[in-house]
Amino acid sequence: MTDELRERLARLDPMHSEVPTESVTTPSSRQLLEDIMSTPVTEQPETGPTPKKSRWLLGVAAAAALVVAVGGALALSDGGSADPTVVAGPPLELNAGANDSMAMCIVFDVEFLRPMPLAFEGTVTEVEGDTVTLTADHWFKGGDASQVVINAPQGLEALIDSFPLELGEQYLITATDGNVNYCGFSGPSTPELRSAFEEAFGS
Amino acid sequence: MSSDFSRRQRFEAIAAEVYDPLQRYLRRRASPDDAGDLLGDVLLTIWRRVDDVPGESPLPWCYSVARRTLSNHRRGIRRRLRLVERLESEPPSALLLDPAKALEDDELAAALSTLPAADQEIIRLWAWEQLEPREIAEILGSTANAVSLRLSRAKKKLSESMSRQNPPESGHKGDRHAEEQRR
Repeated sequence: MTDELRERLARLDPMHSEVPTESVTTPSSRQLLEDIMSTPVTEQPETGPTPKKSRWLLGVAAAAALVVAVGGALALSDGGSADPTVVAGPPLELNAGANDSMAMCIVFDVEFLRPMPLAFEGTVTEVEGDTVTLTADHWFKGGDASQVVINAPQGLEALIDSFPLELGEQYLITATDGNVNYCGFSGPSTPELRSAFEEAFGS
Repeated sequence: MSSDFSRRQRFEAIAAEVYDPLQRYLRRRASPDDAGDLLGDVLLTIWRRVDDVPGESPLPWCYSVARRTLSNHRRGIRRRLRLVERLESEPPSALLLDPAKALEDDELAAALSTLPAADQEIIRLWAWEQLEPREIAEILGSTANAVSLRLSRAKKKLSESMSRQNPPESGHKGDRHAEEQRR
């Protein structure tokens, strides 16, 4: 019965195996893949868009690279782990480099938030030069460092969706594969964003 | 992070494996034009997260990316439809099942269209993508046991829906009214 049902359902498939698709080797496929492989890999949330999509909003944020803190607070794998593991100890250090001011954003959605491997809520306790220090008030996922340091050598104004990190203010931050996610996936702690974090990661 | 060369090599290998099934997945669920754009989106995510793609069996992981991308795309469609006040007149399942309507097994397609969207999708993943519960679970972020249960229930609902349309004791549509009266 089950096999028969599966076969009957398969006959409804508008893209069954006899319907041709475009081969990965055609010139247009190759062009698509080449275009994709020429795209920078370090400044996007994980479900990043293609540049041609109109629905992607143009972001003004700079990329922020998450680096290993002095003393090894963050153990990033080099070859394939989806979830970096953070151990207690020295502060995390975030480098915010304004290396792609034309980065584009996907539309915010909890579904995109959920798989992000690092998420915390923190309060800015110090702003000094190009460096901002946050105390981690609550880790939703991926770590338990008590402090996070963000270095933004090219200007904090450009960091995280065009809002500044201000002393005493609280922020919700996510990071994926070494990058702070901006475009709404990190931002000032609002009830709405906190609710989204709680939905995505649990409280 | 991989070197540029090894990243390209890895991506090329994954693309070769998933290019065809991803096209089919997206064209089953979106218009041909949209499916083309969505394919680019999905591949771009794979490129950016190539180190996260499982080595042995990358397809379910790639389907899960496609699913999220498609979900976002549909939300955009629904927003646009709301703007022109058309959403109410368009049942959600119509968007999902339109390609099937042109095909011959109308009764089964009609029965499938009566199921909740989530049940329809789990049925499609099983019958069209030919995935097993553990693979579906990876896509949906669930467990194999939970998927097995949901799939079993969805199949039961599908059978019940078909029975209502075409009662087994007669197989004639003329008896449908009597069947409905009995219920």
